[in-house]
This record gives sequence, structure tokens and C-alpha cells, in this order.
Amino acid sequence: MNALRSLFSFPTKAVAAVLATPLALGLLSAGATAQDVAKRWGPTDPASTFGEDFQYLFWLITTLVSVSFAIVCVLLLIPVLRDRAKPGKKAHYDHGSSLHDKRFTAVVSLIVFVVLDAWVLVVAMKDLREGYWNIPAPDDEKTYKVEVLAQQWAWNFRATGADGEFGTADDILSTNTLVVPKDRPVSLNLTSKDVIHAFFLPDMRVKRDANPGAVNIAWFQPVVDGEFDILCAELCGYAHYQMHGKLQVLEKGVFDEWEQEASRLAVAAHDAEDTEAHWAWEWQE
Amino acid sequence: MSGDHIHPEPTSFLKKHVFSVDHKVIAKQFLWFGLIWLLVGGVMAMMIRWQLANPGSPVPVIGGLLFPRTGGVIDPASYNMLFTMHGTIMIFLGLTPVLIGAFGNWCIPLMIGARDMIFPLLNMLSFWTVALGGAVGFYSLFVPLGATEAGWTGYPTLSTTVGTQGDGETLWAVAVFLIGASSIMGGINYITTIIRLRAPGMKWSDMPLTVWGLFFTAVLNVLFLPVIGSAMLLLIMDRVFGTSFYVPASIMSGASGGDPILYQHLFWIFGHPEVYILILPAWGIVADLLSFFARKPAFGYKVTVGAMFAVTVLSAVVYGHHMFTTGMYAMLGESFMLLTMIISVPGEILFFNWLHTIWRGSLRLTTSMLFALGVIFVFGLGGLTGLYLATISTDIFLHDTYFVVGHFHLTMAASALFGAFGATYFFFPKMFGRMMSEKLGKLHFWLTIVPLTVVFCTMFISGYGGMPRRYYDHTSADYLVPLQHLNTITTHSAFLLGAAQLIFAWNFIRSRWWGPKASDNPWEVGTLDWQMPTPVPHYNFKEIPVVKTGPHEFSHPKLGDRDWIPQTEELPA
Amino acid sequence: MTTLAMDTPREDPRSRANATLGMIFFIGSWSMAFGTLFLSFLILRERVGTWPPPGIVLPSFPMATVATLVLLGSSVAVHAAVKRGRADAGGFAGLWALGTVLGVAFAALQSWLWFDLLAAGSGPQAGTYESLFFGLTWVHAAHVVVALLALLWIQLGIRTGRYGAHRISTVQNTAMFWHFMDVVWVVLYLGFFVF
Repeated sequence: MNALRSLFSFPTKAVAAVLATPLALGLLSAGATAQDVAKRWGPTDPASTFGEDFQYLFWLITTLVSVSFAIVCVLLLIPVLRDRAKPGKKAHYDHGSSLHDKRFTAVVSLIVFVVLDAWVLVVAMKDLREGYWNIPAPDDEKTYKVEVLAQQWAWNFRATGADGEFGTADDILSTNTLVVPKDRPVSLNLTSKDVIHAFFLPDMRVKRDANPGAVNIAWFQPVVDGEFDILCAELCGYAHYQMHGKLQVLEKGVFDEWEQEASRLAVAAHDAEDTEAHWAWEWQE
Repeated sequence: MSGDHIHPEPTSFLKKHVFSVDHKVIAKQFLWFGLIWLLVGGVMAMMIRWQLANPGSPVPVIGGLLFPRTGGVIDPASYNMLFTMHGTIMIFLGLTPVLIGAFGNWCIPLMIGARDMIFPLLNMLSFWTVALGGAVGFYSLFVPLGATEAGWTGYPTLSTTVGTQGDGETLWAVAVFLIGASSIMGGINYITTIIRLRAPGMKWSDMPLTVWGLFFTAVLNVLFLPVIGSAMLLLIMDRVFGTSFYVPASIMSGASGGDPILYQHLFWIFGHPEVYILILPAWGIVADLLSFFARKPAFGYKVTVGAMFAVTVLSAVVYGHHMFTTGMYAMLGESFMLLTMIISVPGEILFFNWLHTIWRGSLRLTTSMLFALGVIFVFGLGGLTGLYLATISTDIFLHDTYFVVGHFHLTMAASALFGAFGATYFFFPKMFGRMMSEKLGKLHFWLTIVPLTVVFCTMFISGYGGMPRRYYDHTSADYLVPLQHLNTITTHSAFLLGAAQLIFAWNFIRSRWWGPKASDNPWEVGTLDWQMPTPVPHYNFKEIPVVKTGPHEFSHPKLGDRDWIPQTEELPA
Repeated sequence: MTTLAMDTPREDPRSRANATLGMIFFIGSWSMAFGTLFLSFLILRERVGTWPPPGIVLPSFPMATVATLVLLGSSVAVHAAVKRGRADAGGFAGLWALGTVLGVAFAALQSWLWFDLLAAGSGPQAGTYESLFFGLTWVHAAHVVVALLALLWIQLGIRTGRYGAHRISTVQNTAMFWHFMDVVWVVLYLGFFVF
């Protein structure tokens, strides 16, 4: 017990001095952060088909990792509490270099690799094949295609409109607001005008970089309608933190009506002279 | 040219303390240099944390001085500068000089029984090159438009003139280049010294694990710092001479131009080994400290060395996991995922051997030992959370969120720093001839590990919540507002963590000049460095010792009352 | 095994081996640096469909070939010089001087290649090919300048008797670095002019 106490016997003045500083800073900042907002300790409920796979794998890894870490902590604590130096007591002399020890190490590593890594690897590969990398066929009627052109600091969107072709007069153009149908795969082509941005839909569990000079591909399928945040997840300069937009997911009927109207308005607003607005590229898969 | 000659001790102040070629003096120069930069980087971290918890309110005490134009409020551009310089300073000017520069220089010749480094002049040049790099980086804070805002990773095209104007980014690239050159010089010196200047009788398997860690680090330095050096040259040319290595043509134009992703490949081919460059010396030191203070031989010495070697080799082929969202081929991504999981195996073997080393030992819980045990704890947390980021399907969501920030701070920052603290408390008596206060040291330990765990574990929660990193103000987006309370928790713990480092600073400075005099071998260990008189004479060993025993022969049954044996004595038959 | 003398005029074989080993690691490290540049070359070249891109001013192939031969000649001369120097045979200083002169000639030819392109209105900002050509040859040339200074330094040292059979490791290391410059140039030459 004395040995344990020696670990925690500190000069009180030093403790007081050190604790005082952050406490003072904490008091200074307490007023500034008082907010009446509902707190959250994790992400919002998933709103896309990827959601459940992500939540499952995240918590599978969390379980595996927590158990492993608990084992490490126990193995750390036992010798710290039990094997403290005492007069006349000698440590167990063992180099751990015998064949038996090496075999033991090898077996433990193999078990850890199989339980921790291989398990997660298998689940992840399955998720990837069925999810993120199972990019919907572009010629499928159901697939809703959107070209995303990022810039400092806004998201420009272009959908094909009724004719299904990019770069025509009825393309639906919008900035910072993307409207997509519920329960249909949304396929994205991403690029950037200037620096690298990353298109991040936290509710949909999707993130993909928008690189200048190249087209990047991503997709998701919303399963919940409503309004969600679009964030930029790659440092893109001064106003990186303000580069966000809204994703509106509409039910089938509502969406179809909206699309027709938007396409009609686009044709009416089309200005052949405005070359700046005519960005579009050949769809890439 | 070579370190096995005896040179007369210089008498002038300049040659003795400033332009010294003595590895012990250079080690102390690196130590002070690194500690001062750690302080600068630490203050920057505190300002970052202040802004995140209290967006837009003036920084207390120092705010008015640093940001007079805004009345003490950090503006978004300054905020970007702060985290960019915080990362750069901590990695290149803080941890690298302390762990590799200071303890590499101190430990290698003394532990292998050499009179100095093999190329003392190159050694001096290495320090003054990093000092110049530091000066250039510091100067960049004062040029028009200020220091760079492109992040420590400096991704183009943000880091080219497309994204950042002014000289800040160019000077940053020059500074990184110079610091890299310094590390290469050090690396060549360390490798050649370890190969050529081991004392007679010292087999490779008689070297302390500290030396092994530093050896592998030196190999990685020599191989991968040139990669970042070249990447920086191309960046400088893009910025200054208008070349287009990284600046692409628009996708709509049909032309090709440069490739910004090329930089990411080059950066991470260097960047991932850099993680191991910082952690390998800490691993080596920890493996030694655990054995020294458990009074037990290091468990599975050769397996530990083999695991460190495996990590060194694998470190070069896992870098792709930093780039899962850039749009790399699916097959390539899967290969990197698999390789990243494979590199966890040698890491896990190290844990296994460390835990086995202290099992049934006779533990002396000195401050150094506490920090060594602390590394097992924080590296355990950091290493295991790597699994989320190695797995592509979870990384897609967690990439560039605070989850990543928590993960890499625990692994490459906290673990490396804990190794450095453990080493400082341990080598201080030999370096400065005085003891550090154990009471203050233990207080420092507890006031560091507790808030540190809270800081970075809260970051895991924020990251899981979807909070992106490098945001000036998380209350700007509706999605993030409900996560803001996590920022407050992190910030308050971070302040406590920062304040606790003042105990270390006080302990270090007070003990340096007024601490109790240290005996020659206060920790009762057998390695060559502790067999010398304190202070260590100018050319270390008058007679080069002959090594007869391994470095970890503790508690041998035939040793009698003493539970340790110097490496220069034969084990009783 | 320990020598207690300082500034020995004659180096012992042990420290000679140390110096060589250090130089080998140095060149290994620098190979990574140039390897990185060459990797960038290959990746960017891959992005440009046809190579060299049509319609641009190319550096002069005959002049580059002459430069390559001159540099190879310089390397051969330096190599022969070191051999003589080590054996304490005559011709050390002369061959080294020949190597240095050929090195300077290479630098002149290299400059000619640049100014020829600049005169034709090309330049590093003109495109990917030009970026690569100017950028990579600049980095190489910066090393050549340092190496030439070292060659000159050795030349002076041979005159004053500082270097010779008794102190050869600096000479050998300089020669090794010079050969390395040669190899890097040949790789660049093959990349830009042959394949």
C-alpha cells in the first residue's frame, strides 16, 4: 500500500498551480459555449443503403478492439500491482528466447490476426463489393446521374434533366443544393475547378474527393426523405469550414414533379452566350 | 574524419558549445532545440483548442498580442496557419530533434562503446541544417500574407499558387526540405556508426534495443526523406518557376497537365514511414526501459528486433490507406487494406513481448518506467483504433474527421512523446549530472496521461459523429452543432494537459541547475553508457571497453546480491 | 585498434573503409531522391497520351548526345585518375584535370540545351514535357555544380599534396559521386531522348 501511495504523493503547491490555469480558462470560456442544443454522441441515423453495413462494421470493430484493449490493460495492471519491487525479491530470470516461447508468440499473433484483422477484412470486402464499389449501371433508367463541380467555396451540381444527356439546355443546374430521389441509386461524377475538395454526406455515410484534373466516381441510395447536410471534408482554404450545402431527398412522386418543373425552368433560363455555365463533361464510369 | 580518434577538447566557447563536433554537446543542442519548439507547437495547439471551443471569442492573455487586428480573435486564415504550423513544428522541429537528434546522438556512441559519431563534422552540420530549417519556418510567420495555410500535408493544388499566394508556402517547402536534409545526414551517420564503431565483443544481439530502434529509424530516414525532398522541390518549382508538375488542366479542356494526386503518392510514400521514423526510437527506448525497471531480461529480444525490422520493411508498402477517398483503383485499395492489416502483426508482437517482459518482474515504478508503461497504454489505444481506418468501408466515413486526428495523435504524437519523456527522465542524470525530481515527475505523468486520454478519446467520439477536421468553426453547419459539446470537453482537457507540461518544464530547468548530484549509475543498469563516470569525459572512453554480456542481464540466479551486471563483465558460469 | 594521433597525414584503412561506406549510404539515399523524380517523370508521361507531345519545341537530340558522351568521358578520366592516385602512379593530376575540364564542358552543353529552348520560345511553364525537362535537369545540374566544385577542390589538393595515395578517401568519394551524376544523367537522357 505504501508503494502505491508513493506513486501519488505530490507537492500540493504544484498541483494547485497546474489545476488553476485550465480552471481559469474553463471559467472564461464557460459563458461562450452555453448552448441550448440537443447533444449528440455519434452520427445521425443512417439515411442510405450503406448505413446499416457501416454501423454494423463500426460496432463489430469497436467490440473487438475494446476486448483487446481490456486484455492489454489487465495484463498491464497485474504486474504493476503484483510484481512490485520488494527487498529480497528477485525477478523471474527469463529471456523468452526458447523455441517454446517463439511458438507461443507465433500462435498468439496468428489468433490475433485471425480474430481482429481477418474477420474485419472479410466483412469489409463483402460490404465493399455489395456497397461502395457496386457502382450502379449508368444506362439503367433508375440511376440518377449528377455531375458535381466543386470550387472555392461552393458545390455546383448538374443533372441531365428529361433528355438524359449532359451538356444540353434542359440540364438542371444548382449551387449548394442537390435534389435527389428517394430509393433510387444516385451516381456522382466529381471534379474540381481549383483545389481538392471532398464531397461528404455524413448521413449517407459517403465521402469522395473532388480532384482538379480528374473525374472521381461515387454513389449512394437514400432510403429516407428529408434535408441533409453536405460538407467539405478536404482542407480547401480560408472558408473550408463554410463550404456546405443541402441535400434534399424527395419521395418518388414529389421528385418527378420537381424534376419536370426544374427542367422546364432550365430550358427557359438557358443562355447560349453564358459559356461559364456550360461546364459539363462526358459521363465517366 | 572518423570517430575512433581522440581529439583534444576545444577551449573556446564557440567551439565547445556552439559549433561543437562532440556528439554529447550536439545531443544537448538537439534536446533544447526540440523542447523549445515543442513549447511553441504546444502553445499553438492551445490556441487551436481555444478557438474550437469558443469560436470567435478573443484568445485570453496572448490574443491581443498575436492578433491585434482582430482584437485577439483568431481569424480563419490565422487558424489555418496555426494548425499547419502546429503539425509541421511538432513533427519536424519538436519530436524529430528530441527523439532522433538528441537521444540518437546521446545513446548511439555511448551505448555501443564509441568515442563519437563516425562523421562528427557531418553531425554538427546536421544540427545546423535543422536549425536553419527551423529559422526559415519561423521567418515564414512574418512574411506578407503570413505562413502557409495548406495543412502540414501541403496537398496541391491548395499548396500551389492556385490555392495559396505569398511566400509562406514556398518557405515552408524550403524548411521541410532543409529539415529532411538534416535527417538524412543524421541517418547516414547513425547507420555507419552502428555498423563500424561497435566496441569489440559487441555483437548485433548485444546492442540495447534503443540502438536498434534508432538504427531502423535511421534506415527509414535515409531511404524516405529524399522522397519528400524531391516532392518539395517539384512543389517549389511549381510555385516559383511556373512548372506544372502538380497543377492539372481543367477536366473540361481535355488537356492533361500535372497531377495533384502524384504529390499525395510521393507525400505518403514518405509520410507513412515518417510515422515509424518517430515511433521506432520510442519503441526501442520503451523496450529497454521496461526491462531495466522490471529487473528482467527483455522478453524475446530477437523476436522484438525482428518485429521492428518487419515494421520497417512493411512501412513503405502500406501508405495507400491515407488515400482511400482519392479514387484509387478498387484492387489497389484492397491491397493496401490487406497490407495495413498485416503490419499490425509485428506491432502486436511488440506488445506481447513488452507485457511479457514485465510479467513476474520486480518492478521499480520510477517516472521513466511510468512513461514506458504509459506508452503501452496510449499506443494500445492508438494502434487498435487504426483498424477502423485500415478498413476501407469504415474509413470512407471516418477519413478526414476527428477520428483520424485522435488516432494519429495517440500513435505518432503521444506515444512518441511518452517515449521522449521516459528517455528524458532516464538519461537526464547522465546528460546533466543531476537528478530530476521524481515527485514532480510522477505528478507530470498522471496529469499528462489522464487528460491526454480524455482529449483523444473524445476526438474519437467527435470523429464517429462525423466532425471534419481543419474546420475553423464547427457550429457553422447544422449537422455539427449537436457535436459542439464534445469540443468543449476536448478543449478543457487539453488545457489541463498543456498546463501539466509546465511541471515538466519547471522540473527540467530546476533539476538542470539545482537538482541533487547524480551518481554514476543511479538506475543500476548494465549498458555501457551507465558504466562511465558522470559527467561523461570529453571523448567518452579512454579505453574502448570490451563487451562480454548482453544489455538486459537482470536478476540472473547466480549474480548474488546484485541483480544486474555491466556489459563489460562475464556472466557467472 | 585506436590511434591516438590527431590529423594523421596518412589515413588508416579502417577510416578509409568508413568513408566509403558512408558515401555508399549517401548515394543510396540520393538514388531515392532521383528515383522519386524519375517516378514522377514516368507517371506524368503516362498521362500525356503521345510522347513527346506533338507541336512543341524539343531539346536538341545531337547536342544532348554529345553532352552524354562528354560526361561519360569525364567519368572515365576521373576513374582512371583515382586508379593512378591509389597506386601512387603518374598521371593522377593530369587525368583528374581532364575529367574536370570535360565536366565543365558538360555543364556548358547542358546550359546550351536550356538556352536553345528558351530562345525558341519554350520554357518551364510551357507544358508537362517542358516542366519535366527543365525541372529534372535543373536538379541534376545543381548537383553537377556542387560536384564540379568538389572536383576543383580535389584538383587544388592534388597540387598542394593534400591528396594523394596517402589520403585518397575524399578523392574516391568525390569520384563516386561524379559517377553517380553520370548515371543519373544517362537515365534522364534515355527517358527524354531515347525511349
